[in-house]
Amino acid sequence: MSSIPAGVPTREIYWNVPFHDLLYVFLVPTLAIAAWGVYRRVRLWRAGQPILRFDRLGERLDLFVKDVLAQGRVVRSSYAAFFHTGLVIGFLVLFAATTVVAIQADLKIPIMQGPFYLFFQSLTVDLFGLYVLVGCAMAGYRRWKTKPAKLVYTDEATRLVLLIGVISLTGFLCEGWRIAVTDDPWGGWSPVGFVFAAASDSMMSDSLMKTLHTGTWWFHMALSFGFVAWAPYTKMLHVLTSPLNIFTANLDGYGASLKPLDFEKAERLGVNALTDFTWKDLLDLDACTECGRCTAVCPANTVGKTLSPRDIILDLRELMHNNAPALLTTLGANGAGTKGADSSAPAGAIDAAATLPPVIREGTPLDPEALFSCTTCAACMEACPVHIEQLPKIIDARRYLVMEEAEFPEGMMNAITSLESRQHPFPGTQFNRTDWAEGLGLDVLGDMEDPTEAEVVFWVGCGGALVERNRSTVRATAKLLKRAGVKFAILGREESCTGDPARRIGNEFLYEMLAKGNVETLNKYGTKQIVTSCPHCFNSFKNEYPQFGGDYQVHHHSQYLQELVEDGRLLNGKDDVEKKLDRKVVYHDPCYLGRHNGEYKAPRALLDGALNTKREEVARSGRDSFCCGGGGGMMYIDEKPDQRVNQERASQLLESGADTVAVGCPFCATMLEDGVNARKGDREVSVMDIAELLLEAAGDDEASAPVAE
Amino acid sequence: MKILVCIKQILDPDMPARDFKVNAETKEAERGGANLVTNIFCENALETALQIKEKTSGKVTALSYGTDDTEDSLRKALAMTVDEAALILREGDSNPDAEAVAKVLAAAITKLGEFDLILMGRESGDWGVGQTGGLLAEELGLPSLAFVDSIEANDGTLTMRRQTDSGTETATVTGPALALITNNEFNVPRIPKTRDVMMSYRKPLEKFSLADIGLSAEDVSGSSFYEVTDLSIPTKDVQCEFVEGDSIDEKIGVLASKIQPVVAANS
Ligand code: SF4
Ligand code: SF4
Repeated sequence: MSSIPAGVPTREIYWNVPFHDLLYVFLVPTLAIAAWGVYRRVRLWRAGQPILRFDRLGERLDLFVKDVLAQGRVVRSSYAAFFHTGLVIGFLVLFAATTVVAIQADLKIPIMQGPFYLFFQSLTVDLFGLYVLVGCAMAGYRRWKTKPAKLVYTDEATRLVLLIGVISLTGFLCEGWRIAVTDDPWGGWSPVGFVFAAASDSMMSDSLMKTLHTGTWWFHMALSFGFVAWAPYTKMLHVLTSPLNIFTANLDGYGASLKPLDFEKAERLGVNALTDFTWKDLLDLDACTECGRCTAVCPANTVGKTLSPRDIILDLRELMHNNAPALLTTLGANGAGTKGADSSAPAGAIDAAATLPPVIREGTPLDPEALFSCTTCAACMEACPVHIEQLPKIIDARRYLVMEEAEFPEGMMNAITSLESRQHPFPGTQFNRTDWAEGLGLDVLGDMEDPTEAEVVFWVGCGGALVERNRSTVRATAKLLKRAGVKFAILGREESCTGDPARRIGNEFLYEMLAKGNVETLNKYGTKQIVTSCPHCFNSFKNEYPQFGGDYQVHHHSQYLQELVEDGRLLNGKDDVEKKLDRKVVYHDPCYLGRHNGEYKAPRALLDGALNTKREEVARSGRDSFCCGGGGGMMYIDEKPDQRVNQERASQLLESGADTVAVGCPFCATMLEDGVNARKGDREVSVMDIAELLLEAAGDDEASAPVAE
Repeated sequence: MKILVCIKQILDPDMPARDFKVNAETKEAERGGANLVTNIFCENALETALQIKEKTSGKVTALSYGTDDTEDSLRKALAMTVDEAALILREGDSNPDAEAVAKVLAAAITKLGEFDLILMGRESGDWGVGQTGGLLAEELGLPSLAFVDSIEANDGTLTMRRQTDSGTETATVTGPALALITNNEFNVPRIPKTRDVMMSYRKPLEKFSLADIGLSAEDVSGSSFYEVTDLSIPTKDVQCEFVEGDSIDEKIGVLASKIQPVVAANS
């Protein structure tokens, strides 16, 4: 300390702590134990299949700043936001402070002095230490008092909260006694310590405080070291795995979260062993913080089904750890840890993988019944603070059940069988692909002399053309396009299902065949732009078809119509709707337009331009929207009467007091119409597509009348 | 046990009714935009054969008389795990009658080898004639049983249960024999596993011309023992009328007076 002139603010490091160098003796085993704890997880992840997740570093850093440092997703829950952010920043600040001490004490660089000492090392550290303490109290309060159902209650979590609390408390005690005994002239810069100092000063003698200080200091250090060593063996591991998981997250949106399958090489179609997952899938498991947000927002779980995305992750995590030896053998046996990726993998690896238990097991969170109740809405992924990808894992397991076992619910089987022989998932439909267009005089690409005259292809979709309810939607869309003078054409009988239902149900093979067929047809006509009123088709074109050589500019009808309105080609310009609607409208975001593809604005803008009234919003909307219940092949399944997602959603929408539920998806329209009819009581409420509403606003009487037979 | 299953590809019976058109000239259904599918009873027969194979062992062969399109139906049979398939390419008559088809199938079966059991669907979903099986048994000189809904194979004996108007009958036969399969809850055709769909493209599917099996187009045309004289889609006339009236009693009265003549005319 001699180098610091008197009067410059600082403090003596290791005051009143004899033998403090012993710390370094303890530090080595502590770090070794912690490092082992981390390493034993890392090597398990390596047993997964390869996937590229260290590319696009700039984008990854952005995400890291947003969702790790700024806790972008954690803060969506305001209670957790307050205490978790406190804990994270508190930890970071305290870590910085410890580093400062080390620089000063060991590198002998005198930085812990002057204003920096006062503002950072004293005041900031003290306040954040307090924040940590408060954070622990809040976490404890939630765990022991309010007890939300989404949390997992373990002794481990309890001990962790207590441990961190006691560490900060003992830190303050030591600081207080030091300030009191040394009469620290800058003690006031450490307000919390100062309060402890003042309290102790009046109660005990200096020598008592010195004795207590030494004892408590060592206790504090022992706990801190114990915490560091123990943390990687607990859910605290997420301090490392969560940031890593966010850094290696899928950057392309939920609509592009399913992996393609290499049918030539894949030894198993889909996943039924841990080694069939990618390393990132396995990392996901260790990154889970058990916060339960995913399950809390899951529509299937909400209506009482057994599906729970959190429990799927936790179950797989347990499976991974209980089978660590077998997993490590697969790794040793083929070096790269990529069983299945390479058909020349040594037999040893395959044998070792065969000793792994199946992932899909009845009575567990990965029970086929649970797996086949997922609507693929992606609410779980949107809610997860650490970007865990629950949905692709569910689809991986479905792929196995559908393609390797052919075991899946009957309703989905019927849809798949129909897709195979008729290229649409609606067996028994009484319509063909062009019935809906009767009398509209639309161009059909195959009949046109020069198909390139069509600037846009209107992709109708099976849900539009073949389902009674939605024929008026596609008709309205076509009429609006005509009104605006858009040069468009349809494919008519040449249109096939995009394959979305097949892919979501788990039949990747059938999906690929359908996708390739459609790309061939569209490319044959030189297609550049596509408009579709089905968000599922939209998602396929946007995120999935490029892989098969189908590169199109694709618009959801709400986007395209809104552009037409803005360009003054529809409704005589934005502010001049011919007949503004007096309906009280609430808009329901379709999962595949909203969450999967980030389009929340266009449909709302379009509605606002057509309404006289103020549009209603419900709590679960936009990013947090609640599925209609029809995605992921659930449309083809008869749900138990008391477990219907569509009715739950209908109730939420009805609460807004609206008389019209506006939708932008044929699946939503059918599901919600049924749901609303079941729940509306004697209210008059209609479910209408945006296009139907817009046509009504434009004064076309056909809009709300059924399509003429 | 060696089992052969004859299957037929037909126009999708599930096509929208309004898409179904017939050609009054040729007296045939028009394909239009409809898909082709395997006749459902033929799929029941395939399922029955596969279950016997799985319980005993042996081999299942699928055979069809059709066009190149029919390859799809045979591929699907292979995907259901049939071992091999043969397609006789149709020549001449595009809608051959049951006798002609039986002749072709008999020649094909003789060419393909010996079988312990031959299964067919009880009738096809398009014409529903239901005669081909019996005629084929005749051609081959085999005993046959129709409306069979389950078969147990035991040490070379086949126990077949057939549905009758008043219940079921059971027959035992030591084969070779021919059975016409009808549906029951146990022979619902399986959904092929994708793995098997992929494998189906590697399984043998042989195509033969009529000449290959020792027949000519003349042999299988014009031999009709029946003639289709007319083909049309029955039309349904629907009239809708709302009953008027001030009170419910009055409406009931009006309704009754409207119904009475119709009931009287039909009784
Ligand atoms: S995608 Fe939706 S339905 Fe499926 S698990 Fe996630 S939240 Fe639940
Ligand atoms: S998967 Fe994500 S949202 Fe679900 S419990 Fe784990 S951390 Fe929370």
